[in-house]
Amino acid sequence: MNLMSRIRRIPFWSWVWFLLGALYFLLPLYATLNFSLRMERDVIGFKAYIRAFEDPDFLKTFLYSNMLALLTIIASIILIVPTAYWIRLRLPEARRIVEFITLLPFVVPAIILVFGLIRIYSSPVNIPFTEIRILQPLTTFEVGTDILIIAGYVVLGLPYMYRSVDTGMRTVDVRTLTEAAQSLGASWFTIIVRIILPNIRAALLSGALLTFAIVVGEVTLASFLGVPAFGPYLFLLGQHRAYEPAALSFASFLLTWLAMGLLQLVSGEQGQAAGAH
Amino acid sequence: MSYLTLSKITKQFGDTVVVDDFTLEIAKGEFVSFLGPSGCGKTTTLRMVAGFEIPTSGKIILDGADITDKAPNQRNVGMIFQSYALFPNMTVAQNIGFGLNVRKEAKETIKQRVDEMIALINLEKHANKYPYQLSGGQQQRVSLARALAIHPQVLLLDEPLSALDAKIRVSLRSEIRAIQKKLGITAIFVTHDQEEALSISDRIVVMNAGLMEQVGTPFEIYNFPQTQFVANFVGSLNTAKAEVSDPATGLLNVDGIQFITATDIKSRKKGDAIRVSIRPERFSFADNQKKDNVLDCTVENITFLGSVVRIQVKIGEAKFNMDTFNNPFLELPKIGSKEQVTCSKEAVLVLDE
Repeated sequence: MNLMSRIRRIPFWSWVWFLLGALYFLLPLYATLNFSLRMERDVIGFKAYIRAFEDPDFLKTFLYSNMLALLTIIASIILIVPTAYWIRLRLPEARRIVEFITLLPFVVPAIILVFGLIRIYSSPVNIPFTEIRILQPLTTFEVGTDILIIAGYVVLGLPYMYRSVDTGMRTVDVRTLTEAAQSLGASWFTIIVRIILPNIRAALLSGALLTFAIVVGEVTLASFLGVPAFGPYLFLLGQHRAYEPAALSFASFLLTWLAMGLLQLVSGEQGQAAGAH
Repeated sequence: MSYLTLSKITKQFGDTVVVDDFTLEIAKGEFVSFLGPSGCGKTTTLRMVAGFEIPTSGKIILDGADITDKAPNQRNVGMIFQSYALFPNMTVAQNIGFGLNVRKEAKETIKQRVDEMIALINLEKHANKYPYQLSGGQQQRVSLARALAIHPQVLLLDEPLSALDAKIRVSLRSEIRAIQKKLGITAIFVTHDQEEALSISDRIVVMNAGLMEQVGTPFEIYNFPQTQFVANFVGSLNTAKAEVSDPATGLLNVDGIQFITATDIKSRKKGDAIRVSIRPERFSFADNQKKDNVLDCTVENITFLGSVVRIQVKIGEAKFNMDTFNNPFLELPKIGSKEQVTCSKEAVLVLDE
């Protein structure tokens, strides 16, 4: 069946609803694009884009947020992959509890998380269950604040990262592969790095991209912890300028689509391999 | 001398005893099968040798060393799984080389050994393919090569043929046996398929409900089963209720028909209720041969099974199957006709329940 006859088979009302839905999504986007191109009176041009990208703060905050995103992704992988792996292997009864914990960021707003972090770490604290005292409060120096915000972002990204990793592990027979590797003499570290990680590559990538998207645009944690991140920069820009935010929004839309396209591509490939399998 | 010794192994999961007081000595280069229905403890026993389970009590000695509590990656044991368990992210050659790679062997050593193993399983053309590009039989051969590459002291096979189709299963099992003989490696093979166990093993351990029922060569297991379970599980079997008529001479009464058995039943009393077991191929139609049991019967049914023709006969009130080899000149009786069948007294088994 060719494409045209397939399209003709779709009933009239389906088309109507589809077009209405598409308009609802595309109209504001078109408006944003149109507006962003009219910075100079009576001229259609990219002035707003040039101005936005020329701002030194743009690059600085954007790079800083990218660095935060990267470190968040690394920290979540180190935390979540062994956890999800151990639950699959040895503690299946803990799955429900852990799944519940990973969903908490959907229920507890980021504002509560950040106030909790500030309250606890803005004064000298004992490391829990020990007498060891952190001499300087984490919020008073840059690296300390970076640690705090990355920890916060790991929490915010938890639902996405854990689910991706867990789903990835479901598609490979983790237990038997582990036993096979063990009987060949492999240590736990070798098994995770050389067997588990490579086989959940696509899942890791999708989790990482989602985490990236959250971190780069995040405002609440970044502004309350007072870090020079991209989210607060965009927010400020939005309050003081008219055209540049529109330009940046549209640009970020394109970026998101690109990321989603990449995701499709990677998971599609994985699907093909699995299909052949 | 025993190379691998399992001594008084017991394994419990919670309150359930999965393996009970299992003792077995395996000689170097021997091929031993654990045979039994699912849940009989055969796989658990194998997994204890591999180190994936630790026995609740008992000892496992391999080549003089106690390995009972050793971690699986500290034992030098090759394992083959029903689901092949090849690493999907690695090629055939990388899979086979993985164990040596983990052991940090020199690159040339690994390459040489991998080539040797690939030649052993005849997959030279597929060395750089990924597992999903291979058929099931090829994947299982790769998994065999991967396990053998590390020069294991024992090769453990956990139902390696169960996921394959019938033809491949038969050819791969002789291939496994040939390779095992060639390398002289000690092997334990777990299966629920009696034909597989009979064809491949030096010795068979028949297990049921965590207990060892009988250990012996395939010949012994088939021809001299010691328990009702073994007789039933291995091969096909006729059983019928009977009554002891004369313990001294071995006379039995099956529904009013006299049978004579060679099994020693002197410990039983006249009138004891027992069961007789007779393999279908031990019956034949009566001709001039003198046999111990000559029995009047009615032919009830005839089933053609290819190489064998199975004839169901009614002796008295009891029904028995009788197998006879097929040949084109075979003259089969008519259904409903009266005939005489015969079997030796050694064929009539009285087994412990």
